[in-house]
Amino acid sequence: MKVIIGISDMRIGTKADDVLITYSLGSCIGVVLWDPDAKVGALLHYMLPDSGIDASRAATKPFMFADKGVPRMFKEIYKHGAKKSRMKVYVVGGSQVMDEAGMFNIGKRNQMIIRKMFMKNNVMITREDVGGNVNRTISLEVGTGLVRMKVSGKGEVIL
Amino acid sequence: MSRIDEILNIANHLPPFPKVALQVMKMLNDPKVKAKDLAKVIKYDSAITANLLKTCNAAYFGLSRKVSSLDDALVIVGQDILKDIIIASSSSRFYKGGAGEGYELEQGELWRHSVATAIMAKLLAKHFPKVSPDTAFTAGLLHDIGKRFLSSFVASDFAKIVKLAYGGKMSFVEAEKEVLGMTHAELGGMIMERWEFDEELRRAVRQHHDPDALEKGELTALLAIANTQVITLGVGAGADGLTGKLHGEGLKKYGISSLDLECYLAELLTEMDKAEEMFALAE
Repeated sequence: MKVIIGISDMRIGTKADDVLITYSLGSCIGVVLWDPDAKVGALLHYMLPDSGIDASRAATKPFMFADKGVPRMFKEIYKHGAKKSRMKVYVVGGSQVMDEAGMFNIGKRNQMIIRKMFMKNNVMITREDVGGNVNRTISLEVGTGLVRMKVSGKGEVIL
Repeated sequence: MSRIDEILNIANHLPPFPKVALQVMKMLNDPKVKAKDLAKVIKYDSAITANLLKTCNAAYFGLSRKVSSLDDALVIVGQDILKDIIIASSSSRFYKGGAGEGYELEQGELWRHSVATAIMAKLLAKHFPKVSPDTAFTAGLLHDIGKRFLSSFVASDFAKIVKLAYGGKMSFVEAEKEVLGMTHAELGGMIMERWEFDEELRRAVRQHHDPDALEKGELTALLAIANTQVITLGVGAGADGLTGKLHGEGLKKYGISSLDLECYLAELLTEMDKAEEMFALAE
Protein backbone atom coordinates (compact mmCIF):
# COMPACT_ATOMS: atom_id res chain seq x y z
CA MET A 1 0.00 0.00 0.00
CA LYS A 2 1.22 3.48 -0.81
CA VAL A 3 1.57 5.56 2.35
CA ILE A 4 2.04 9.32 1.90
CA ILE A 5 3.92 11.08 4.65
CA GLY A 6 3.00 14.76 5.00
CA ILE A 7 5.16 17.56 6.34
CA SER A 8 5.88 17.00 10.05
CA ASP A 9 4.84 13.36 10.02
CA MET A 10 6.42 9.89 10.28
CA ARG A 11 5.14 6.46 9.32
CA ILE A 12 6.31 2.90 9.77
CA GLY A 13 5.85 0.29 7.03
CA THR A 14 5.80 -3.38 7.94
CA LYS A 15 4.28 -5.06 4.88
CA ALA A 16 6.29 -6.15 1.86
CA ASP A 17 4.06 -4.18 -0.51
CA ASP A 18 4.16 -0.98 1.56
CA VAL A 19 5.68 2.01 -0.23
CA LEU A 20 6.40 4.99 2.00
CA ILE A 21 6.66 8.27 0.09
CA THR A 22 7.06 11.93 0.93
CA TYR A 23 6.79 14.67 -1.68
CA SER A 24 8.56 17.92 -2.19
CA LEU A 25 11.30 18.23 0.40
CA GLY A 26 12.63 21.77 0.18
CA SER A 27 14.52 22.81 3.28
CA CYS A 28 12.80 19.99 5.18
CA ILE A 29 14.61 16.69 5.62
CA GLY A 30 13.40 13.20 4.86
CA VAL A 31 14.92 10.39 6.90
CA VAL A 32 14.51 6.78 5.75
CA LEU A 33 15.30 3.78 7.99
CA TRP A 34 15.16 0.18 6.78
CA ASP A 35 16.07 -3.05 8.48
CA PRO A 36 16.73 -5.80 5.92
CA ASP A 37 16.19 -8.65 8.44
CA ALA A 38 13.11 -7.35 10.22
CA LYS A 39 11.82 -6.09 6.83
CA VAL A 40 10.53 -2.93 8.42
CA GLY A 41 10.96 0.64 7.25
CA ALA A 42 10.19 4.16 8.38
CA LEU A 43 10.07 7.57 6.77
CA LEU A 44 10.14 10.90 8.62
CA HIS A 45 9.58 14.36 7.08
CA TYR A 46 10.73 16.95 9.58
CA MET A 47 10.53 20.66 9.00
CA LEU A 48 12.62 22.45 11.62
CA PRO A 49 15.72 21.64 13.66
CA ASP A 50 14.90 22.59 17.22
CA SER A 51 11.63 22.35 19.15
CA GLY A 52 12.88 24.99 21.60
CA ILE A 53 11.09 27.63 19.50
CA ASP A 54 7.65 26.26 20.31
CA ALA A 55 7.23 23.75 23.13
CA SER A 56 3.45 23.46 22.82
CA ARG A 57 3.59 22.66 19.11
CA ALA A 58 6.37 20.14 19.80
CA ALA A 59 4.00 18.36 22.18
CA THR A 60 1.25 18.01 19.57
CA LYS A 61 3.46 17.63 16.48
CA PRO A 62 6.77 16.05 17.59
CA PHE A 63 7.67 15.08 14.02
CA MET A 64 7.80 18.75 13.05
CA PHE A 65 11.19 19.01 14.77
CA ALA A 66 14.41 17.00 14.32
CA ASP A 67 15.29 17.00 18.03
CA LYS A 68 11.98 15.39 18.99
CA GLY A 69 11.08 13.55 15.78
CA VAL A 70 14.28 11.61 15.07
CA PRO A 71 14.60 9.92 18.51
CA ARG A 72 10.92 9.09 18.41
CA MET A 73 11.24 7.57 14.95
CA PHE A 74 14.02 5.25 16.19
CA LYS A 75 11.99 4.25 19.24
CA GLU A 76 9.01 3.41 17.03
CA ILE A 77 10.95 1.28 14.56
CA TYR A 78 12.71 -0.62 17.40
CA LYS A 79 9.25 -1.71 18.56
CA HIS A 80 8.92 -3.54 15.22
CA GLY A 81 12.14 -5.52 15.69
CA ALA A 82 14.58 -3.23 13.90
CA LYS A 83 18.17 -3.04 15.21
CA LYS A 84 20.49 -0.06 14.89
CA SER A 85 23.45 -2.22 13.80
CA ARG A 86 21.55 -3.56 10.79
CA MET A 87 19.67 -0.51 9.71
CA LYS A 88 20.17 1.35 6.46
CA VAL A 89 19.87 5.09 6.97
CA TYR A 90 19.16 7.66 4.26
CA VAL A 91 19.03 11.44 4.69
CA VAL A 92 17.63 13.64 1.94
CA GLY A 93 16.62 17.32 1.58
CA GLY A 94 17.85 20.43 3.38
CA SER A 95 17.92 22.73 0.33
CA GLN A 96 17.76 26.47 0.48
CA VAL A 97 17.32 29.52 -1.71
CA MET A 98 20.37 31.59 -2.59
CA ASP A 99 20.86 34.20 0.14
CA GLU A 100 24.38 35.30 1.07
CA ALA A 101 23.10 36.71 4.34
CA GLY A 102 22.05 33.20 5.40
CA MET A 103 18.73 34.37 6.83
CA PHE A 104 16.81 31.73 4.89
CA ASN A 105 19.22 28.87 5.69
CA ILE A 106 16.82 26.56 7.50
CA GLY A 107 18.00 23.80 5.17
CA LYS A 108 21.54 24.03 6.48
CA ARG A 109 20.39 24.09 10.11
CA ASN A 110 18.24 21.04 9.41
CA GLN A 111 21.30 19.21 8.04
CA MET A 112 23.55 20.21 10.92
CA ILE A 113 21.30 18.99 13.67
CA ILE A 114 20.81 15.50 12.26
CA ARG A 115 24.56 15.07 11.65
CA LYS A 116 25.19 16.05 15.26
CA MET A 117 22.51 13.73 16.59
CA PHE A 118 23.72 10.78 14.51
CA MET A 119 27.34 11.33 15.49
CA LYS A 120 26.46 11.41 19.17
CA ASN A 121 24.43 8.22 18.87
CA ASN A 122 26.76 6.31 16.53
CA VAL A 123 24.33 6.12 13.65
CA MET A 124 26.03 5.67 10.27
CA ILE A 125 24.38 7.27 7.26
CA THR A 126 24.23 4.81 4.34
CA ARG A 127 23.55 7.46 1.68
CA GLU A 128 22.66 11.11 1.78
CA ASP A 129 21.69 13.72 -0.75
CA VAL A 130 21.39 17.08 0.95
CA GLY A 131 21.71 20.78 0.25
CA GLY A 132 21.76 22.70 -2.99
CA ASN A 133 18.65 24.38 -4.33
CA VAL A 134 16.63 21.44 -5.61
CA ASN A 135 13.35 20.01 -4.48
CA ARG A 136 13.30 16.28 -3.67
CA THR A 137 10.73 13.50 -3.43
CA ILE A 138 11.78 10.27 -1.72
CA SER A 139 10.21 6.83 -1.38
CA LEU A 140 11.01 3.47 0.24
CA GLU A 141 9.79 0.04 -0.87
CA VAL A 142 9.54 -1.81 2.42
CA GLY A 143 9.76 -5.28 0.85
CA THR A 144 13.03 -4.66 -1.00
CA GLY A 145 14.56 -1.63 0.74
CA LEU A 146 14.73 0.21 -2.59
CA VAL A 147 14.99 3.97 -2.02
CA ARG A 148 14.05 6.18 -4.95
CA MET A 149 14.68 9.90 -5.10
CA LYS A 150 13.18 12.30 -7.60
CA VAL A 151 14.94 15.65 -7.96
CA SER A 152 13.30 18.75 -9.47
CA GLY A 153 14.42 19.34 -13.02
CA LYS A 154 16.73 16.28 -12.94
CA GLY A 155 14.60 13.14 -12.82
CA GLU A 156 14.69 10.02 -10.70
CA VAL A 157 17.64 8.08 -9.21
CA ILE A 158 17.99 5.07 -6.93
CA LEU A 159 19.94 5.75 -3.75
CA MET B 1 5.21 35.88 -34.53
CA SER B 2 8.23 36.06 -32.22
CA ARG B 3 8.22 34.27 -28.89
CA ILE B 4 7.86 37.47 -26.90
CA ASP B 5 4.99 38.62 -29.13
CA GLU B 6 3.25 35.31 -28.56
CA ILE B 7 3.55 35.82 -24.80
CA LEU B 8 2.35 39.42 -25.00
CA ASN B 9 -0.54 38.19 -27.08
CA ILE B 10 -1.66 36.12 -24.10
CA ALA B 11 -1.83 39.21 -21.95
CA ASN B 12 -3.91 40.90 -24.65
CA HIS B 13 -6.40 38.05 -24.89
CA LEU B 14 -6.73 37.32 -21.24
CA PRO B 15 -9.96 36.08 -19.70
CA PRO B 16 -11.25 38.88 -17.51
CA PHE B 17 -11.03 38.88 -13.74
CA PRO B 18 -14.59 38.52 -12.42
CA LYS B 19 -16.15 41.99 -12.48
CA VAL B 20 -18.27 41.14 -9.47
CA ALA B 21 -15.16 40.61 -7.36
CA LEU B 22 -13.66 43.97 -8.27
CA GLN B 23 -16.95 45.69 -7.57
CA VAL B 24 -17.38 43.98 -4.20
CA MET B 25 -13.80 44.83 -3.21
CA LYS B 26 -14.50 48.48 -3.95
CA MET B 27 -17.77 48.39 -2.00
CA LEU B 28 -16.02 46.80 0.96
CA ASN B 29 -13.72 49.81 1.22
CA ASP B 30 -16.78 51.81 2.17
CA PRO B 31 -17.45 51.15 5.86
CA LYS B 32 -21.13 52.10 5.44
CA VAL B 33 -21.87 49.47 2.83
CA LYS B 34 -24.87 47.27 3.70
CA ALA B 35 -25.03 43.47 3.53
CA LYS B 36 -28.05 43.53 1.25
CA ASP B 37 -26.25 45.73 -1.30
CA LEU B 38 -23.33 43.32 -1.30
CA ALA B 39 -25.67 40.36 -1.72
CA LYS B 40 -27.27 41.97 -4.77
CA VAL B 41 -23.90 42.25 -6.52
CA ILE B 42 -22.43 38.91 -5.43
CA LYS B 43 -25.51 36.96 -6.60
CA TYR B 44 -24.68 37.93 -10.19
CA ASP B 45 -21.74 35.53 -10.17
CA SER B 46 -22.92 32.05 -9.30
CA ALA B 47 -19.39 30.61 -9.16
CA ILE B 48 -18.28 33.20 -6.62
CA THR B 49 -21.44 32.68 -4.58
CA ALA B 50 -20.95 28.92 -4.53
CA ASN B 51 -17.27 29.23 -3.63
CA LEU B 52 -18.02 31.75 -0.92
CA LEU B 53 -20.40 29.31 0.74
CA LYS B 54 -17.91 26.46 0.34
CA THR B 55 -15.04 28.35 1.97
CA CYS B 56 -16.47 30.56 4.65
CA ASN B 57 -16.95 27.67 7.08
CA ALA B 58 -13.26 26.73 6.87
CA ALA B 59 -11.74 26.60 10.34
CA TYR B 60 -9.13 29.06 9.04
CA PHE B 61 -11.67 31.88 9.19
CA GLY B 62 -12.77 30.93 12.68
CA LEU B 63 -16.45 31.87 12.43
CA SER B 64 -18.53 31.42 15.57
CA ARG B 65 -21.33 29.53 13.82
CA LYS B 66 -22.02 27.67 10.60
CA VAL B 67 -23.04 29.69 7.57
CA SER B 68 -25.57 28.21 5.15
CA SER B 69 -26.75 31.03 2.89
CA LEU B 70 -25.28 34.09 1.21
CA ASP B 71 -27.36 36.51 3.30
CA ASP B 72 -26.30 34.66 6.41
CA ALA B 73 -22.65 34.85 5.35
CA LEU B 74 -22.74 38.57 4.74
CA VAL B 75 -24.09 39.22 8.22
CA ILE B 76 -21.78 36.88 10.12
CA VAL B 77 -18.53 37.24 8.19
CA GLY B 78 -16.55 40.37 9.02
CA GLN B 79 -15.58 42.67 6.15
CA ASP B 80 -11.88 41.84 6.29
CA ILE B 81 -12.53 38.12 6.08
CA LEU B 82 -15.13 38.69 3.39
CA LYS B 83 -12.48 40.38 1.23
CA ASP B 84 -10.22 37.33 1.56
CA ILE B 85 -13.05 34.95 0.75
CA ILE B 86 -14.22 36.94 -2.27
CA ILE B 87 -10.74 37.20 -3.73
CA ALA B 88 -10.09 33.48 -3.18
CA SER B 89 -13.49 32.56 -4.60
CA SER B 90 -12.78 34.63 -7.72
CA SER B 91 -9.14 33.69 -8.30
CA SER B 92 -9.44 29.92 -8.03
CA ARG B 93 -11.01 29.59 -11.51
CA PHE B 94 -7.64 30.47 -13.08
CA TYR B 95 -5.81 27.70 -11.23
CA LYS B 96 -7.86 24.70 -12.28
CA GLY B 97 -6.73 21.73 -14.37
CA GLY B 98 -3.15 21.68 -15.52
CA ALA B 99 -2.26 25.25 -14.49
CA GLY B 100 1.46 25.10 -13.76
CA GLU B 101 2.09 21.84 -15.67
CA GLY B 102 5.04 23.39 -17.48
CA TYR B 103 6.68 23.85 -14.08
CA GLU B 104 6.15 20.16 -13.28
CA LEU B 105 3.40 21.05 -10.83
CA GLU B 106 0.69 18.45 -10.31
CA GLN B 107 -2.94 19.46 -10.64
CA GLY B 108 -3.94 21.89 -7.89
CA GLU B 109 -0.38 22.52 -6.72
CA LEU B 110 -0.09 26.04 -8.14
CA TRP B 111 -3.28 26.97 -6.29
CA ARG B 112 -2.04 25.26 -3.13
CA HIS B 113 1.17 27.26 -3.35
CA SER B 114 -0.81 30.47 -3.92
CA VAL B 115 -3.13 29.92 -0.96
CA ALA B 116 -0.20 29.01 1.29
CA THR B 117 1.62 32.18 0.20
CA ALA B 118 -1.51 34.22 0.93
CA ILE B 119 -1.75 32.72 4.42
CA MET B 120 1.95 33.34 5.07
CA ALA B 121 1.67 36.91 3.74
CA LYS B 122 -1.14 37.59 6.15
CA LEU B 123 0.86 36.17 9.07
CA LEU B 124 3.80 38.42 8.17
CA ALA B 125 1.65 41.53 7.67
CA LYS B 126 2.10 42.70 11.26
CA HIS B 127 5.73 43.53 10.48
CA PHE B 128 4.66 45.84 7.65
CA PRO B 129 2.71 48.85 8.93
CA LYS B 130 1.95 50.17 5.44
CA VAL B 131 0.38 46.94 4.19
CA SER B 132 -3.16 45.91 5.05
CA PRO B 133 -3.60 42.19 5.79
CA ASP B 134 -6.16 41.73 3.00
CA THR B 135 -3.83 43.31 0.42
CA ALA B 136 -1.11 40.92 1.62
CA PHE B 137 -3.56 38.03 1.17
CA THR B 138 -4.50 39.13 -2.37
CA ALA B 139 -0.84 39.53 -3.34
CA GLY B 140 -0.15 35.99 -2.14
CA LEU B 141 -3.06 34.52 -4.07
CA LEU B 142 -2.15 36.16 -7.36
CA HIS B 143 1.65 36.49 -7.28
CA ASP B 144 2.22 33.49 -9.56
CA ILE B 145 -0.65 34.16 -11.95
CA GLY B 146 2.01 34.64 -14.66
CA LYS B 147 2.95 30.96 -14.26
CA ARG B 148 -0.57 29.96 -15.22
CA PHE B 149 -0.14 31.64 -18.59
CA LEU B 150 3.59 31.12 -19.14
CA SER B 151 3.35 27.41 -18.34
CA SER B 152 3.03 26.16 -21.92
CA PHE B 153 5.99 28.27 -23.07
CA VAL B 154 8.12 26.92 -20.23
CA ALA B 155 7.05 23.39 -21.20
CA SER B 156 8.16 23.80 -24.81
CA ASP B 157 11.62 25.11 -23.82
CA PHE B 158 11.85 23.12 -20.61
CA ALA B 159 15.22 21.44 -21.21
CA LYS B 160 16.94 24.72 -22.04
CA ILE B 161 15.53 26.54 -19.02
CA VAL B 162 16.31 23.74 -16.58
CA LYS B 163 19.86 23.44 -17.88
CA LEU B 164 20.49 27.12 -17.20
CA ALA B 165 18.64 27.12 -13.87
CA TYR B 166 20.62 24.22 -12.46
CA GLY B 167 23.89 25.22 -14.08
CA GLY B 168 24.97 26.94 -10.90
CA LYS B 169 24.66 30.66 -11.47
CA MET B 170 21.22 31.45 -12.78
CA SER B 171 17.92 31.20 -10.96
CA PHE B 172 14.94 29.61 -12.72
CA VAL B 173 13.39 33.05 -13.17
CA GLU B 174 16.58 34.40 -14.77
CA ALA B 175 16.55 31.38 -17.07
CA GLU B 176 12.94 32.17 -18.05
CA LYS B 177 14.07 35.67 -18.99
CA GLU B 178 17.07 34.37 -20.93
CA VAL B 179 15.16 31.74 -22.92
CA LEU B 180 11.65 33.20 -23.21
CA GLY B 181 12.43 36.90 -23.00
CA MET B 182 10.07 37.37 -20.08
CA THR B 183 9.63 36.04 -16.56
CA HIS B 184 6.41 34.77 -14.99
CA ALA B 185 6.67 37.68 -12.53
CA GLU B 186 6.80 40.27 -15.32
CA LEU B 187 3.91 38.61 -17.13
CA GLY B 188 2.03 38.48 -13.81
CA GLY B 189 2.50 42.23 -13.36
CA MET B 190 1.02 42.83 -16.82
CA ILE B 191 -1.91 40.54 -16.09
CA MET B 192 -2.60 42.40 -12.83
CA GLU B 193 -2.64 45.63 -14.84
CA ARG B 194 -5.13 44.22 -17.37
CA TRP B 195 -7.25 43.10 -14.47
CA GLU B 196 -7.14 46.64 -13.06
CA PHE B 197 -5.52 45.86 -9.73
CA ASP B 198 -3.81 48.88 -8.22
CA GLU B 199 -0.18 49.79 -8.82
CA GLU B 200 1.00 48.58 -5.39
CA LEU B 201 -0.18 45.03 -6.16
CA ARG B 202 1.06 45.05 -9.75
CA ARG B 203 4.49 46.17 -8.64
CA ALA B 204 4.72 43.56 -5.89
CA VAL B 205 3.77 40.76 -8.31
CA ARG B 206 6.24 42.06 -10.91
CA GLN B 207 9.11 42.30 -8.41
CA HIS B 208 8.51 39.29 -6.18
CA HIS B 209 11.57 37.45 -7.56
CA ASP B 210 13.88 40.48 -7.49
CA PRO B 211 16.91 39.50 -5.33
CA ASP B 212 16.70 43.01 -3.86
CA ALA B 213 12.96 42.78 -3.19
CA LEU B 214 13.48 43.50 0.52
CA GLU B 215 14.84 46.93 -0.38
CA LYS B 216 11.73 47.79 -2.45
CA GLY B 217 8.29 48.77 -1.23
CA GLU B 218 6.74 47.08 1.80
CA LEU B 219 4.27 44.93 -0.14
CA THR B 220 7.02 43.72 -2.49
CA ALA B 221 9.23 42.84 0.48
CA LEU B 222 6.43 41.06 2.29
CA LEU B 223 5.43 39.08 -0.80
CA ALA B 224 9.02 38.04 -1.55
CA ILE B 225 9.47 36.75 2.01
CA ALA B 226 6.13 34.93 2.02
CA ASN B 227 6.87 33.26 -1.32
CA THR B 228 10.37 32.26 -0.23
CA GLN B 229 8.99 30.76 2.96
CA VAL B 230 6.44 28.65 1.10
CA ILE B 231 9.03 27.54 -1.49
CA THR B 232 11.39 26.68 1.37
CA LEU B 233 8.68 24.46 2.78
CA GLY B 234 8.44 22.82 -0.63
CA VAL B 235 4.75 23.65 -1.17
CA GLY B 236 4.30 24.11 -4.90
CA ALA B 237 8.01 24.14 -5.56
CA GLY B 238 8.07 22.43 -8.93
CA ALA B 239 10.85 22.23 -11.49
CA ASP B 240 12.10 25.61 -10.30
CA GLY B 241 12.78 24.12 -6.87
CA LEU B 242 14.62 26.50 -4.56
CA THR B 243 16.61 28.20 -7.30
CA GLY B 244 15.41 31.67 -6.32
CA LYS B 245 17.71 34.40 -5.05
CA LEU B 246 16.81 36.77 -2.23
CA HIS B 247 19.17 38.97 -0.22
CA GLY B 248 18.04 38.40 3.35
CA GLU B 249 19.81 41.32 5.10
CA GLY B 250 16.69 43.44 4.65
CA LEU B 251 14.71 41.23 7.06
CA LYS B 252 16.32 43.00 10.01
CA LYS B 253 14.74 46.34 9.30
CA TYR B 254 11.32 44.71 9.52
CA GLY B 255 12.26 43.13 12.84
CA ILE B 256 12.22 39.57 11.44
CA SER B 257 14.94 37.15 12.61
CA SER B 258 15.74 33.73 11.16
CA LEU B 259 14.12 32.16 14.22
CA ASP B 260 10.97 34.18 13.50
CA LEU B 261 10.99 32.65 10.01
CA GLU B 262 11.02 29.18 11.61
CA CYS B 263 8.14 30.08 13.92
CA TYR B 264 6.11 31.38 10.99
CA LEU B 265 6.70 28.13 9.09
CA ALA B 266 5.35 26.18 12.05
CA GLU B 267 2.36 28.51 12.22
CA LEU B 268 1.76 28.24 8.47
CA LEU B 269 1.53 24.48 8.67
CA THR B 270 -1.09 24.72 11.42
CA GLU B 271 -3.09 27.31 9.46
CA MET B 272 -2.92 25.20 6.28
CA ASP B 273 -4.49 22.30 8.16
CA LYS B 274 -7.50 24.56 8.76
CA ALA B 275 -7.82 25.77 5.19
CA GLU B 276 -8.70 22.58 3.27
CA GLU B 277 -11.91 24.16 1.96
CA MET B 278 -9.86 26.87 0.29
CA PHE B 279 -7.42 24.42 -1.27
CA ALA B 280 -10.37 22.48 -2.68
CA LEU B 281 -11.60 25.49 -4.68
CA ALA B 282 -9.42 24.76 -7.71
CA GLU B 283 -10.39 21.09 -7.92
